[in-house]
Amino acid sequence: MELLLIPLAFTLISLFVPKQTLKYLALTGAAASLVAGIIHLVSYCSCTNFVTIFNPGIATMFGLTLKMGYDGMALVMILLTNAIIPLIVLSNFDKEIGSNRKFVAMVFLMQFALLGVFTALDGLLFYVFWEITLIPVFLIALWFGAAERKKALMKFFIYTFVGSLGMLAALMTIKVYSASFAYEDLVAAQFSAKTAYWIMGGFFLAFAIKIPLFPFHTWQPETYTISPMGGTMLLSALMLKMAFFGMIRWMIPLAPEALDGWLCIGITMALIGIVYAAIMAIKQEDIKRIFALASISHVGLIAAGVLLWNKDSLSAVFLQMINHSLVAVGLFLAAGILEDRTNTRNLYELGGVAKLAPKFGFWFAVIGFASVSVPFSSGFIGEFLLLKELYSYQWIIGLVAGTTLVFGAVYTLRAYQLSMFGAPKLTEFRDLSWNEWAVFFIIGILVLALGLFPQYIFNLVGPSIDHLMETVNSSQIILN
Amino acid sequence: MEALIVIFATGLISMFIALAKKPVLVLSVAVVGILTAISSLVYQMNYPYTWLKYEGLEFSGFANLYGLVALSFGLMIILVGYAKFKEEVEHTGEYISLLLFSLSGALCMLAFTDLFMFFIGLEILSIPIYVMAGSKKKDLRSTEASLKYFFTGAFATGVLLFGVAWLYGAVGTFKLDEIAAAVQDPSTHSPLLYVGVLMILASFLFKIGAAPFHFWSPDVYEGSPNVVTSFMAAIVKLAAFAAFIKLFTLAFGSIRDFWVPILVGLSILTMFVGNLTALRQITFKRLIAYSSITHVGYALMAVIDKNTLFSPMNLWVYLLAYGFSIIALIIVSLILDDEEDLLVSYKGFARRNPFAGFVMIIALLSLAGVPPLSGFFGKYLIFSSVITEQPVLVIIALVNSGIAIYYYLKLIRISLEPVEEGAPALKVNPLHLLVLGICTLGILAGGIVTWL
Repeated sequence: MELLLIPLAFTLISLFVPKQTLKYLALTGAAASLVAGIIHLVSYCSCTNFVTIFNPGIATMFGLTLKMGYDGMALVMILLTNAIIPLIVLSNFDKEIGSNRKFVAMVFLMQFALLGVFTALDGLLFYVFWEITLIPVFLIALWFGAAERKKALMKFFIYTFVGSLGMLAALMTIKVYSASFAYEDLVAAQFSAKTAYWIMGGFFLAFAIKIPLFPFHTWQPETYTISPMGGTMLLSALMLKMAFFGMIRWMIPLAPEALDGWLCIGITMALIGIVYAAIMAIKQEDIKRIFALASISHVGLIAAGVLLWNKDSLSAVFLQMINHSLVAVGLFLAAGILEDRTNTRNLYELGGVAKLAPKFGFWFAVIGFASVSVPFSSGFIGEFLLLKELYSYQWIIGLVAGTTLVFGAVYTLRAYQLSMFGAPKLTEFRDLSWNEWAVFFIIGILVLALGLFPQYIFNLVGPSIDHLMETVNSSQIILN
Repeated sequence: MEALIVIFATGLISMFIALAKKPVLVLSVAVVGILTAISSLVYQMNYPYTWLKYEGLEFSGFANLYGLVALSFGLMIILVGYAKFKEEVEHTGEYISLLLFSLSGALCMLAFTDLFMFFIGLEILSIPIYVMAGSKKKDLRSTEASLKYFFTGAFATGVLLFGVAWLYGAVGTFKLDEIAAAVQDPSTHSPLLYVGVLMILASFLFKIGAAPFHFWSPDVYEGSPNVVTSFMAAIVKLAAFAAFIKLFTLAFGSIRDFWVPILVGLSILTMFVGNLTALRQITFKRLIAYSSITHVGYALMAVIDKNTLFSPMNLWVYLLAYGFSIIALIIVSLILDDEEDLLVSYKGFARRNPFAGFVMIIALLSLAGVPPLSGFFGKYLIFSSVITEQPVLVIIALVNSGIAIYYYLKLIRISLEPVEEGAPALKVNPLHLLVLGICTLGILAGGIVTWL
């Protein structure tokens, strides 16, 4: 329970402490959560299915049970959240925004809501936390975003809110067949194949918008571009991971018999997104937009991996989620540094920065290479496994999805080359400050470590995936 | 029953005290009276007296539950109104006593078991409001609102009485339980009955402002003084819906097949009319008025629910959440105190007064149905109760929630924008602050009722 209470407490504390100490408080709070997460990791044993962290033990008249707990998969997400939040705080540490009361409070509120999403074992509770995450991100972008934010923000909020309503409809439908909103009850609920199809459709709408998958992606580049750096990091590194987690924990186990019906649609959407966004990214001039579109391309591959629904693909999905979060924080930090110091995001107005700021040039290259999944980076293992699974599902799909590697190298290296090499168009460029260096360093180490020892993540999520598969299969057998 | 007597007596007493031109005295009498009535209702909930079943009135669990909300909202509105009336008009005491009379009519409507008592309650509820709507005597819009409300109200009452007469022709009684027994017998299913039910239905739709009988409500909401608007939105709707549910589920439950399809269609129509018109509004109170038409559409779904009388919590939670939000928003409008009340004049509201701005934002989010605010739970309870019977209706309602988020969000965004140069910080009257605080608690903690 302290996992959730720490961020909530720091949300409230940050409203009252004096302004000078705010950034230290933010760092303390983020570190405290991380320590709490690591303690949970050390004491975790894959022998139990769910480690309960909160269970009032009663179901209300409306079926709300408020159960919370985690398994190996949720634990990975908890740790990811608690590791990314310090990085976000650290990257904004010496900025004006990092000492802003509203920003700090909203980051902690976001962390609270995210941890709630990952630990909720009650359908309605999951939905409630899912919706709460919208508020801090919306407010951060509204308060600190770029001047042209109004329209993009409305689009973002309405898009995601409408998606969530699909999930609400699915939850209300499934509750008809279930005794309460408790996870076990929802998984055990039995209904006709047609109902299952629409239940999964409702969930799929919510998750496809949040990820975002191809036809629903139009909110994403604009929102990423207008958000301040911290907001973009929250959005790309953490918020969209909720959707993958939601698919694995809720969407497919609740209505597994409908997966066949949606698999083809989902994979097609993911595939179009992978290729389309990558081609779009090649032609962009705005560096933040390139990374936003790159994100669509990368998450498309992860979404396809989730839909394939076997142990290898799911393990790879978790590794790739971690990798994507780390790389996203790194890339948007680099974009933020460039924008902050030159007041432009246009690649053609940048150039030769590597000469002026060699440290930045080096670390940007490291993150760039991690993004194109060179061997020994965590992205390599994750993408390789995902592509392998896609290939064995349908070789042509694997082949098309594989183009992401080529396109990824093109747009990332193009962005790097145009901004960092060539004749300097700027006279001065302040090199990395210590906190930015620290963020890059931590990301670099983690990417390398996970690239060399991915087994650690696989061992953590493996037993939980096994258990999940068993539950889903047994519920399907009962039906047949 | 004591509650009704106490409220009516308080109204009478305060009317005479008002002659002394001491508004504070009237306010204290009114507050003491309402608190006494509330405590008697709470007491009754625990110890139901059998002898309280009078001819035509029955204070059962249902009436007590809704009465509690009506009285609490009444108290909040009187507190708000006192602060407002005092600076505007000289007849503060009289207005408070009018509000009290209206409140006693609402209680009558909640507890009726006889169509006579229902009609009397409805009139006691409405007539003071006709007067109050026109209380800004020199403002043409207020006069127009009063006249419009009076004409439509009188027309609705006429239709209601005509419908009751047809119904009497079909079943030969005014008592709810006897009507219910008679309607179960198919031999009474004559055109007389159906026309009567239709007319009664139409008059209800007039009162709650559902499409296609909604035309009066935006004009009346806009023109009336803010306090009266909040009374109409929170209490009149509550009483009308409670009576609606009671009459239709209890008395006409056996001819559901006849009126449910009509209500389903009108509910959908109401949602779309309210929402699509609200998208284009440029003044605050009209926006609120049209959004409340949409909310009437959602609430109609609770009437459609077969079990609604046995689980009255659904609509209760919904109307509670709705009332808190509406009262909070009306106070926001009072704080800004802008004659035109344009949306753009709310620019930077949250910065000019952070607390009121915060309440405004959560009130709007609650109306939009964002969890974990109470509006979400109200909506969830209503939607999930009808999803087995009317899945399409629920989907349409969800689509409408999606449309509605646009204008709520627009208002939130406007209120968070930077303040224009030279706009002063806004002062809030302490009484308004108190009521805003109560609303905040109600909106934030509304989810707790789902634990009951």
